[in-house]
Amino acid sequence: MPTGLDSLRHIVVLMMENRSFDHMLGSLKAVDPRIDGVTDQLSNPDTTGAPVKPQPLAEFQGQLDPDPDHHFPAVDLQIFGGDKSPNRVANMQGFVKSYFNQQRDVGHSQKIMYYFAQNQLPVLTTLALEFAVFNRWFASIPGPTICNRAFAHYGTSFGRVDMNPIYVNEPFKNIYDRLINAHPKHTAKLYYYDTTSSTMEVANLLQNQPELFGTYEQFLGDCSNGNLPDYAFIEPNYSDHDSDSGEEVANDQHPDHNIQAGELFIASVYNAIKQNPNLWQSTALLVVYDEHGGIYDHVVPPACTPDQFTASANDTGTGQPFAFDRLGVRVPAILISPWIPKGTVVDRTFDHASIPATITKFFLGDYSPRSPRETSADVFIEPNAQPADATRNLLSLATMRTDCPDFDV
Amino acid sequence: MTLIHVPKPNLQSAMNPDRPVSGLLKAQIQHLHDAERNLPLRHQTDIYINAIKTEGEAAEYIRQVTAAIHEAHEAAAAKRGRGIAIAAAAEERPVGKGPSGGKKKGKVRRGRKT
Repeated sequence: MPTGLDSLRHIVVLMMENRSFDHMLGSLKAVDPRIDGVTDQLSNPDTTGAPVKPQPLAEFQGQLDPDPDHHFPAVDLQIFGGDKSPNRVANMQGFVKSYFNQQRDVGHSQKIMYYFAQNQLPVLTTLALEFAVFNRWFASIPGPTICNRAFAHYGTSFGRVDMNPIYVNEPFKNIYDRLINAHPKHTAKLYYYDTTSSTMEVANLLQNQPELFGTYEQFLGDCSNGNLPDYAFIEPNYSDHDSDSGEEVANDQHPDHNIQAGELFIASVYNAIKQNPNLWQSTALLVVYDEHGGIYDHVVPPACTPDQFTASANDTGTGQPFAFDRLGVRVPAILISPWIPKGTVVDRTFDHASIPATITKFFLGDYSPRSPRETSADVFIEPNAQPADATRNLLSLATMRTDCPDFDV
Repeated sequence: MTLIHVPKPNLQSAMNPDRPVSGLLKAQIQHLHDAERNLPLRHQTDIYINAIKTEGEAAEYIRQVTAAIHEAHEAAAAKRGRGIAIAAAAEERPVGKGPSGGKKKGKVRRGRKT
């Protein structure tokens, strides 16, 4: 009998923007204690020294304005609480202090500890409880969007920790080039929402290989027509803008964009795959966030294999160089497939380098050269796993589930 | 099978194209501006990016440059195609009346480079 791994033909990654695990999924600790969410024991000091506890008071929009700082120096403060000594230990005690720096308002700074109640996020929390939720998926770098997204495409940021364009140095090819140039050839596409939202992968891919891109409308068509490529990466809508079909609300969930618009978008991606039965049984969908966006999370990012690049003290802005030897703050990540047992909780450690690592291993097998970070990253789909080994093979069911939820969007 | 209702945002309160442009969009604009400089002049916009202040203005610039990048590549591909078509027509000329096979190959290569 074919298992989920035997049936798997497509992997889809949807990468959202700037929300931490505790902020989005922390409420689920009360539903399933195996999910490493918020507890009453957690707090951060505000600038008066008073402890501020996480509270389920997050709002869909209008609360995290200005956008919480998530550049390298601010994230360093959030993780280490302001300790700059040589033997410092990460304690996740600097989030309120960091947000206070932006408005000098003690009351406002406490909002960085707020999280969503389960019923506010029916899509993300349902997917987390129905499929596989990752307790230890971290941003690749304690820094902002562009360098973190680079890890999802290249397995490295080539030494960058900022928002400047990343120009790729050979020999580390992006995952799309690896696939489309393979023998036998594979197919890959990066879908951005529309031309007006475009992509964050401008410097190399859009500029040099625009044929790799499609719009979200084309993604929907490819799903219904059975033309989805082997690997698809989806970017949300990054801006409020007008389009031929009317007003488009940003659905990336980047503060201060509307959270519910993002919920609808995640549901629409899920529905597009699920509504084609052949696709549903042969596709795994990963929903993941690029970084935490300066918002509180309680899990200390672990050390990792250093990359072969070092960001200078000048580039980090902290007075210290960075060897890419520890991960960024934890983010929500959920793997979806009808072959995954309901309520799967994964405790292994992942970061965005796990995306090209997994895609490469699943479709191509051995491949080199790849960055040290990618080579050492764990994979979320293990092609060599024993079918019944649920610790390595998340698609472990012998029979496809028929009880997966539907979303009314 | 459970049907989960997904609430829709209030479009009037959620939509704000006058929102000040975020750091993320600023970075995207800068990346596209760098890409735009590599385009042939006829595909470049005349938008001054330092004057972009709102999300709506950012979106319009992003739309124009993204479309221009695609158009520039399509134009280059079409030109390349025409070069190949000319070379193919030359290949079909009667033997003995045209240049040598080596020269025909040269035409194909020139066509591909344009």
